[in-house]
Amino acid sequence: MEKILGIITANYSTKYPSVLSEVRPVASLPFLGRYRVVDFALSNMVNCGIRTVGMIMPYNYRSLIDHVGSGRDWDLNRKKGGLFILPGSAFGTSRTGSRFLLRDLAHNKVYMQRGSSDLCIITTASFVYNMDYRDLVAAHRASGADITVLTKKASGKDVDVCGFAVEDGRVTGVKHGVKFGDTAFLDCFVVDRKLLLQMLEWYAQTDYLDLFEALAPDYGRVKVQTYDYEGYAAAIFDKDAYFRANMDLLDPKISAELFPEGRAVRTKAHDNAPAKFEAGSHVSNSRISGSARILGSVTNSILGRGVTVETGASVSNSIVMQGCVIETGARVEYAIVDRNNVVPAHTELRGTPDALFIKDKAEA
Amino acid sequence: MSKKECVAMLLAGGQGSRLGVLTKDVAKPAVSFGGKYRIIDFALSNCANSGIKTVGVLTQYRPYLLHSYLGTGGAWNLDESDGGVSILPPYATQSGGAWYAGTADAVTQNIGFIEQNDPEYVLILSGDQLYRMDYQEMLANHKRHEADLTVAVMPVPWEEASRFGIITQDADARIVKFTEKPNKPDSNLASMGIYIFDAKLLVDTLKADAVDQSSEHDFGNDIIPKLLADGKRLYTHEFNGFWRDVGTISSYHETSMDLLGSHPAFDLFDAGAPIMSNASTRPPAYVGPHGEIDDCLVGNGARIFGKAVHSIISTDACIGERAIVEASVLLPGACVKDGAHVVRAILGEHSTVEEDVVLGSVDQTRDTAVIGNNVVVGKGEE
Repeated sequence: MEKILGIITANYSTKYPSVLSEVRPVASLPFLGRYRVVDFALSNMVNCGIRTVGMIMPYNYRSLIDHVGSGRDWDLNRKKGGLFILPGSAFGTSRTGSRFLLRDLAHNKVYMQRGSSDLCIITTASFVYNMDYRDLVAAHRASGADITVLTKKASGKDVDVCGFAVEDGRVTGVKHGVKFGDTAFLDCFVVDRKLLLQMLEWYAQTDYLDLFEALAPDYGRVKVQTYDYEGYAAAIFDKDAYFRANMDLLDPKISAELFPEGRAVRTKAHDNAPAKFEAGSHVSNSRISGSARILGSVTNSILGRGVTVETGASVSNSIVMQGCVIETGARVEYAIVDRNNVVPAHTELRGTPDALFIKDKAEA
Repeated sequence: MSKKECVAMLLAGGQGSRLGVLTKDVAKPAVSFGGKYRIIDFALSNCANSGIKTVGVLTQYRPYLLHSYLGTGGAWNLDESDGGVSILPPYATQSGGAWYAGTADAVTQNIGFIEQNDPEYVLILSGDQLYRMDYQEMLANHKRHEADLTVAVMPVPWEEASRFGIITQDADARIVKFTEKPNKPDSNLASMGIYIFDAKLLVDTLKADAVDQSSEHDFGNDIIPKLLADGKRLYTHEFNGFWRDVGTISSYHETSMDLLGSHPAFDLFDAGAPIMSNASTRPPAYVGPHGEIDDCLVGNGARIFGKAVHSIISTDACIGERAIVEASVLLPGACVKDGAHVVRAILGEHSTVEEDVVLGSVDQTRDTAVIGNNVVVGKGEE
């Protein structure tokens, strides 16, 4: 693989403030019990050989820095290259819906000017998928495009996903929101490094725009090609999408796509014991993380690291994050329970499929 | 290298021949244990949790997996620039080279490593034991006694005493007698094979032992009796926790079962002194719609569609629909296919039990069934 510079714009905040995203950027939302959403972007980068990755940080970066550390768990603790923590503009892309704010990229020209890579792969940390970016790069080389955007045919309506108007694989326009069959943007693209630096000059006066909005008058001049990704991909833009994406991983077929042999999704290593299923526990169609201890009942749910479900407690159709204790006789249903909560004995946290109950993060 | 107070020499070269097919391709310290660990994790974690930051790991038998698993030692917080984990295999010199011929000889051949680190004390450990110990407590005892050598000891059942080095001590915990594997033990205080030596004394003793034609170059057989005969200050450090040397298939199986139950004999869930490992990153375990799990430890990446009772289901192991696994240990990647029935068995890494095969027996008088790494057991082969 040729040398490629990676950039992850990890400063995206969802437009829909919920207690889950108030305390953290989407990038560091816990996912599937033991991961965080940013793990997918980071793993996709390093699994195709990229060893220089800059992360543009959100203002509330504590959880993200805590997670990525020196980058060791992604082999990004390099003597040369490795993980670069980059600044973002004051409030980043908070609630504007922008992914690749020109201002954020322009702030980090120095990072892009260094090094000898021809290409940059730039991605957000708000999608969950596992792909080999070498396919994207090969398509980019083959078409001779200036920019190749990673796309997927939309399987339904989504007002938060960006869509492209496309003719013969070439982008002619950009819009907010997609409907079934549209070309949906997976918020990832490959671009010639020098062209990227030039574009930052072209659009310096409108640096409050997203790169692809700024490009709108120039799609005839700048050749932006699409590359359709066929595998599983989920956008994490609101709590329902977040919930659905977690639950998707109870399907063994989707699991096999997201966690294929030989292309591991890497995450921060923890020294958790294996999960303990005690005598009398009942677990069905669920994912259980390390150090969880189950005495009660768990159905159609995702349990994070170190969660305890006591005798007579039941969890169904829910996401219970790291460190929670569901006490005896308590009942959790259609809920997302953020980290370190204790659900007291014989109480209920109940939502419905249409209105999930969200319990915010508790003090450790 | 700066001067260190205490360095550890971790003996990890043993074959563990009585573990049979489990050590066919890997050294005993690298054998999987407890769902996500390898046996050496316990000694390395003890070092890290005790603040011992320089650990020489002496390897010899089938070292590839062990070496790659150790890596830079980062998994145990032992990747320090001045110290950390050093892998010490046999090496050649101008006068030739030789295999490690005994526990003491292995350390003798690495006296250079000890001298390079210039410690006051040397902690000698085995890479094939399962226990949690704070070596600082042992070191504090060693200093308090102004000892030349401190031996960690624990009481063992009398009927087993003849398997161990047996120690008689006086009221001040000073060792007055040491007998390696006595036929008629007169004490049930057993040496755990964990020693703290005064570094200078260790080096001098090993150098003398190296030229002693009658010596087998073994700590238990030769070094300890020699120091005792010389009137050196040998003391015990008594340990009363869980400690196992999983020497045989049946003890491996038994010790694995000790991790289970609601109040396990050995609790892996102890946040104060975590057992660290260089585990691969796998998604959380998945239990299918008809999965049934009773009293099991289940590692990440495991997929369970059938039934598992009183068993250890390691990383990436799988149990198919209608399959039953009882009182067994599935090592990483082991797969029990649909409808198979596995009882009192140890399935090696990435081994497969094909559909509807019945393996093992509930009959306690029969041996535990063992399947080697990567072996496939088909119908009619059980």
